[in-house]
Parts: sequence; C-alpha cells; structure tokens
Amino acid sequence: MARIGLTTTIPMEVLFAAGHTPVDLNNIFVTRHDSMRLVEEAEAAGYPRNVCGWIKGLYTTVIEDRDIDEVIAVTQGDCSSTHALMETYQLAGMKTISFAYPADRDYHILKDQLGKIIAHYKTNWAAVHKMKAQLDSIRRKVWEVDRLTWEEDRVSGLDNHLWQVNCSDFGGDIDRFDKKLEHAIGNFQSASPLKQPLRLGFIGVPPIWSDLYGYLETMGARVVFNEVQRQFSMPFETDDIVEQYLLYTYPYGVFGRIADIKREIERRRLDGIIHYVQSFCFRQIQDMVLRAKLDIPIITVEGDKPGELDARTKMRLDSFLEMLR
Amino acid sequence: MFCGIDLGSRMVKVVFMDEGQIKGKHVFDTIEFYRQHGRKSGELLQVDFRELGIGQADYTVATGYGRNTLGLKGAEIIPELKAHVLGAIHQTQLHDFTLLDLGGQDSKVIKVRKGRMTDFQTNDKCAASTGRYLENMATVLGITLAELSQYSEEPVELNSTCAIFGESELIGKIIEGHSIARLAAGVNHTIFKRIRPMLNSLNSDVLVFTGGVARNGSLRNIIRRQTKFQVIVPDEPQLNGAIGCCMHAMVRLGNKE
Repeated sequence: MARIGLTTTIPMEVLFAAGHTPVDLNNIFVTRHDSMRLVEEAEAAGYPRNVCGWIKGLYTTVIEDRDIDEVIAVTQGDCSSTHALMETYQLAGMKTISFAYPADRDYHILKDQLGKIIAHYKTNWAAVHKMKAQLDSIRRKVWEVDRLTWEEDRVSGLDNHLWQVNCSDFGGDIDRFDKKLEHAIGNFQSASPLKQPLRLGFIGVPPIWSDLYGYLETMGARVVFNEVQRQFSMPFETDDIVEQYLLYTYPYGVFGRIADIKREIERRRLDGIIHYVQSFCFRQIQDMVLRAKLDIPIITVEGDKPGELDARTKMRLDSFLEMLR
Repeated sequence: MFCGIDLGSRMVKVVFMDEGQIKGKHVFDTIEFYRQHGRKSGELLQVDFRELGIGQADYTVATGYGRNTLGLKGAEIIPELKAHVLGAIHQTQLHDFTLLDLGGQDSKVIKVRKGRMTDFQTNDKCAASTGRYLENMATVLGITLAELSQYSEEPVELNSTCAIFGESELIGKIIEGHSIARLAAGVNHTIFKRIRPMLNSLNSDVLVFTGGVARNGSLRNIIRRQTKFQVIVPDEPQLNGAIGCCMHAMVRLGNKE
C-alpha cells in the first residue's frame, strides 16, 4: 500500500481500488502550522517569487515528506506550472505520473487517461466502478452537509468548505472519514440556524487564507456556496465514472463553471459573490469573463501566501458587504 | 458639532462640521500623528483631542486604512468606501457618478447610482497608481509634487509595473537626457494608464475626482483628454473621506433624535 500525492483532484477511485492511499498535497500544505515556511523554502531552493504560493507549498510538502511514494501531477485542467513542479520533483528523485483532463471535454480521451492510471496501479474497471459506488454513498452525505448549509442555514461557511474540500482524498481513509462525517451531520442537524443576513458565494480555487470564512461571519455575512470545493464532492447523479469526471467543472473551461454558478446563485438566493484569485494564476484572466457573464455583485480578492487576511483585503470586503446591505 | 476622521496611510485628515459647513480642518502626517497623539488603550487607539488643540465634537466618526488594525476610541467606525461616497455626494450634490479617489497608497473607483454605491474596484497588492508613487517619482526627479503636477505634454514612455522599479526606470530615462517636463508628464501618464481599466469598467457621465492626488492638475487634464468623463474635483478633494464621516454622523444623530 503506497501513499500517492495528488496535485489536485483526480479519479481517486482508482487509487482506493488499488489499495493505495491518496494524499491531496494541497490539504497537507495549507493545514500545516508552518505553511508559510514551506513557501519560503521553495523560494530558497530557486522557485521564482512570482509563482503561485500553492505550487511552492506543494513543492516543499513533497520534498520534506518522506512518506509520499509517488506523485500524480495533473498537467492539464489545473495549473500549467504543474509541468515544472513535476520536473523539480523528478530532479529530487520523486517518482511522478501525469494525468491530463482533456481541454475539449472529450469522453474517449478522458477514458484513456483513466485507463492509463488503472493500468499503472494494476487494478481494473470493475474494481474502480465498485469503489465509485462506495465513494458516492459518502459523497451523498457531503451533499447533505451542503444542503444543510444553504437550505437550513445550519452549517458555517468554513465547515461547508472543509467537508467538501476534503472530498479530494477523503483524508486518505474512507471509513474514518465516513464515521466523522456521520457524527458531524448529526451535530449540524441539531444546530440552531445561523443568523447572518447576507448570503455569499465563493468562487475560484479554495482560499490560501485561514480566516476568510470566520471574518465574513463576524461582519454579518456567510458563504453558502463554495463553488470549486462543491465540485470536489462530485454533485452529479451518474453511474459512469468517465461521465462523472466530465461533469466535474473545475478542470474545463470557464463557461461550464459559469452555467453551474448561475444555477446556484438562483437556488441559494445569493446576495453577492467573492471571486478568489491566486496571485500569478492564469485564472485571474477569467475574472473578465465571470464579471461579464454573471449578473450579481462580485468582489475579486487576491491571495498570495498562506496566513491570515491582510488589512487591505478586509477593507475591501467590508466595503463590499456595506454595498450589499 | 460633528468630527470626521480619515486615518489614511500617508495623512490623517480631521474635519469638524456643523450644519453642513466645515468649521475646522486639520491634516497630519500619519506617522507623526500616531507617534505624538495616539496611544493604545486595550484594543483601541486613543487620541487625545484636547492635547491636539482642535476642539471637541458631539459625535465622532472615523474611517481609513488604520481602522482594521486598530479601532478609534470614542468613534464610530465606518467602511472607507462608504465615507468617500457620502463625502462626494455632499460636496458635489450629485447622485449618479463615478468616484475616483487616489490617496497615499490606495486607488479606488466607485460607481454611484441614486446616491448608493453599486460597484467598485480598488488597487490590490500594488501601489503603482497612488500618491506614494508620485512622491517617490518627484523625489527621483528632484522636484516638488506641485511641480510634477504641471506637466502632461509629450510624456516619456514608462512601463509602470511597480512603484519601486519605476524609480530605476525613471533614472534610466534621466540618463537618456529627456527634459524634466517630459519625464514628469510620463509619470502622470503612468498613473492614468493604471486607473484606466478601472474607469472603463465603472463608467458614468461624470467623474468626481478626490484624494490628495486630485490636486494634480495634469492628471485631471489627462483624464479629461483621454476619456469622455466630465471631471469634477470638489473643493476639498483630500478631506472628502473625513467630510463623509461627518455626513454619516449627521444622519446618525438625526436618526437618534
């Protein structure tokens, strides 16, 4: 049983079916107490300052973590810097395998990519489908956490974020995750409804800051839609695993994401949207498209290194909330 | 009497108003202000107004960059953009406009419709379109801010990606032998290039231009020449945020009575 690092969400059914443990490197990096140091170590090793903080954090996470046996690097559909990240892993002697989401959302190409990792990890389609059914039963419970967030107002923006974002690897242990999830749902169901009058959507990659959700809640606003994190929970009714990873909006074009966001703006009665962009990320450009296509107040906030919100971002968020009131 | 305080990154602006009229105005260097007149009292900043010798107010409202790190004792704190919108409405008596506020480290563009903020953009992670940039560039050129603000013709091309690297770029242009007039014009154009995308996306017929940088006449002219905006600079561009605080105080006290 090997520990396989992931640079972003991949069909982790394959890894569980093969008896391996998926480890979403992003989750490890950002929850470390010394995540800032990891970024600095990558810069000390030679990573340019003007490269995304996540990439640098992922670099040091793997270099310093001797328990990772191999890394699956997603070279298309996530971040183009991952190509060079993979090469610097190789330079350090780490085994890597690439996975690419097809830009044109082609069924057969994605099926080939799945076939490639199935063969690499010596499992088979039947085992993968069986594992999908098992994971789907857990994902349904995470969908319930999401529903309790927006429909019953019983879950904070942070808890919504955490349960969904953790679906990228289920903490590496399905049974443990399932037990903790059941317990959490019990608590959420009996929690009294949250009172923040403003309902926000959070779109874009998960934030590198640790205190965004809490800060918003102290200011009378709550995130009831975490766009990309929700995608990690694969909120689609399909038995076909290839179809599932085609419906998954994150690795494909922005227009697919927009259709999803529009539906959720209506359904969740959002007052405004926070578009989070990462410094030096190509997705910053998509802000243009999102602003042109979404008919709702949007504030774009930019995060660079891990840690807490800076005073300027707080000032901008305050003004945005004031505007929505 | 109401007191409005705008705790800016470069200057602290204090305005006293009564019945809609300015009764007193004071501008302090931010660092000096905190060093000489402020002290921390719990989680709040306490300012001794008696010691400042600028009078006492019935109600004090504050805003500005400093407010997220420290509240101000005895004052109601309001968001910065709200203060600027209220100030601009009071000063111009307009209700539909785009507000451009260029301060010490901030550039803000706010769209106002029917007296309410409907959209805004601010600079983020970069101060290359702000007063601080102009100050640095004037220092490099060896001229005052007032002189810098006189030139807008035949600008030299500056790439303006960074307020700090901009200095070495400017030094390079000085070595090439360009006149101070053309160099200063280049600096003023750089600010315009930086704010232009924000102005384009939050368009109105009228642009109300505030903040310390609004006193730069060349920049006003460049905006007039290169955009379709009717540019209005109110009487007190630098005090606009503090005036807005007084307006909020007036409404607040009016509501209480």
